[in-house]
Amino acid sequence: MTDAWLLTVLSPMARAAFYLLAAVTLAGALGVTLTRNLFHSALWLAVTLLGVAGLYLYLGAEFLAVVQVLIYVGAILVLLLFGVMLTARIADPAVPALNRHALLAALVALGTGWALRLAVRQAAALPAGPVAPVPLETLGRGLVTTYVLPFEVLSLILIGALVGAVVIARPERRS
Amino acid sequence: MIPLSHLLTVSIGLFAIGLFGALSRRNAIGILMAIELILNAAALAFVAFNAYGIPAADRDAALGQTAALFIIGIAAAGAIVGLALVLAVYRHQRTIFADDMHLLKG
Repeated sequence: MTDAWLLTVLSPMARAAFYLLAAVTLAGALGVTLTRNLFHSALWLAVTLLGVAGLYLYLGAEFLAVVQVLIYVGAILVLLLFGVMLTARIADPAVPALNRHALLAALVALGTGWALRLAVRQAAALPAGPVAPVPLETLGRGLVTTYVLPFEVLSLILIGALVGAVVIARPERRS
Repeated sequence: MIPLSHLLTVSIGLFAIGLFGALSRRNAIGILMAIELILNAAALAFVAFNAYGIPAADRDAALGQTAALFIIGIAAAGAIVGLALVLAVYRHQRTIFADDMHLLKG
């Protein structure tokens, strides 16, 4: 297992696969923000999410990759597509997609990205290489022992969000 | 072997693109999508640090992956509530453009 992992890490094909995945992920993200048609944006979002799932696979987090595909691409994205379908005039070229602060927003995003990159560049000691991947058993055991409280809080948040969404989106009764 | 800084650069790029989208999109659902990009960038950074052995303690060996799982859960809750709000606003205001919504403006 460990030997196979090392081979995967060292082989140049894996390296090429990483840069391909990274390029696909970032290109998809650009598609999400720059496409005028919101439906196409949602499709680009699927590309990005699958790219991130591939990066998880590359990093040895298979379970997270599966969860990403199931929950993000399977559930959240479909929910977003519902929202896109329910709102009219998505492809109307007369409606501008960006607000009037787009240039300022680009400057803020570039500045933030530059500052974060600077922080990474100046970090004192980043670890040199990857370690052996965490076995799934460790992740599952942690969820029901060390991290059981946040786990339960998350389920409360989900049920609260579900009930809240039903209450908010329910049509008002005329009395 | 990919240095950790390259992975973090991908994460930073995702974050910056998501930030630009969240600030510049007019459509509220477009803003929601950009926020999903930002959450994905954070989760990717968590998993990357985890794969490179941070934190090193045995007890917390899966901390980064656990955090990424929680992020995915929170993103689901956020998307649900956000879409419900968008639908409610659309019903009342007949618009989903964030710069046309000024109910709270005095």
